[in-house]
Amino acid sequence: MESSTGQDVTEREAERPRAAGAPATATAGGESFFVELERFRGPLDLLLHLIRSQDIDIFDIPIARITRQFQVAIGDGLAGMPLERAGEFLEMAATLVRIKAQLLLPRPEPLDWEEDPRAELVRRLLEYEHFQDVVHVLQTAESQRGRHFARGYVEPRPPPRLQLPPLETTLEDLLRAAAAMPRPRPAAAFRAPSRPVTVEEKVSLLRGLLARARRVAFDRLVRPWGTRAHAVAALLAALELARRQVLRIEQASAFGRIWLFPVRAPRAAGAAGSTETGTAEEAE
Amino acid sequence: MRPEQIVEATLFASQAPLTAEELARADDELTPDAVAAAIDTLRAAYEEQDRAFQIYELGGGFQVLTRPEFAPYLERFDSVPRPPHLSGAALETLAIVAYRQPIGRIEIEEVRGVGASSVLRTLTDWELIRVVGRGEGLGRPLLYGTTDRFLEHFGLRSLDELPSPEDLPVALAAAE
Repeated sequence: MESSTGQDVTEREAERPRAAGAPATATAGGESFFVELERFRGPLDLLLHLIRSQDIDIFDIPIARITRQFQVAIGDGLAGMPLERAGEFLEMAATLVRIKAQLLLPRPEPLDWEEDPRAELVRRLLEYEHFQDVVHVLQTAESQRGRHFARGYVEPRPPPRLQLPPLETTLEDLLRAAAAMPRPRPAAAFRAPSRPVTVEEKVSLLRGLLARARRVAFDRLVRPWGTRAHAVAALLAALELARRQVLRIEQASAFGRIWLFPVRAPRAAGAAGSTETGTAEEAE
Repeated sequence: MRPEQIVEATLFASQAPLTAEELARADDELTPDAVAAAIDTLRAAYEEQDRAFQIYELGGGFQVLTRPEFAPYLERFDSVPRPPHLSGAALETLAIVAYRQPIGRIEIEEVRGVGASSVLRTLTDWELIRVVGRGEGLGRPLLYGTTDRFLEHFGLRSLDELPSPEDLPVALAAAE
């Protein structure tokens, strides 16, 4: 046990590279020692260091010497410490002085261990040291765990800037769509006030076209005028006639051409039901 | 699909440990026992094939992690934040909570000889400990215990993997 704890102390010293504050060199009872108060997690840590680094038997602590060393060690460091932390060190100093005083009382016979004023301190020191061993176990476990890597550790590539359109589109589709766009009209030299467009007007136009053709392309209703008002009126007219079951609307694919089919009287229903293309009757 | 393949796919796709119960949800045919058997089969297969990863058990869950010998290569990619190494005060407090849980702040401070409020708050924020109840006595103090994340952080299967007090170099032996 003695050898392993000695090793433990030196290892713990090595673990504290982030020491801050001026080291205090103290001379007490003839031995010179070197303490950086900042490195210690608290009074128990410091006390344990004093005891272990001098190979003192923890069950027979020379209280006078350790008290002196403890006081010297905290002497310079306390000033720069937060009050609460300084209080923790001072409380331990007071405890040591109390124990020293109790030991000085004259006794008729040697003390039992249970009655020894040092017993409680020794119990706390041993308990603290016990948990330092656990700390060591946890530290080892932590660094071992740090050598295993989970998925997602290596930095993912940045996501692409451009989102792909949600449609399945080929270059050919894109070119065809671009070619089908009406060319922007050259700016007019003068602007005449435009005649208002009515849905009724488009309805009668549609009726006229459907009477003569097997099917009508929707853009035919819009293209000659090319304004938004015409497009809206034509769309409303087509929807209105579809609602009245005068025509039906078909679009084979998204963004494909919209075809309007007349719904014929029953005698011609068979012909109207066909969606065959490429006949001369198409009104385009 | 064979159970091993389903378990493998699920573990592969996960970034966090999954329990046998969670893995069993992947398929109606799977039971936690079947998952455990599948994991044994996979582990043996990875071992035999000398794969760079293995299935590890952490905090009651299973996770695919690289083997430690590949750490030097992976450490070159330091761009993803890794869990920080805990400070001495944090480790000290965790050690006490791990062995004495459920335990209150006052008892922790008695062992450490220093205040523990701020470190307890930090450890709670990091979900390494949590409040597990309230003690008797004045003010019904909060009692703390360790979490699954604690086990994960230290790569432990369960608290039983920590050495028992008698196995530590300094046992709390009664004074002779």
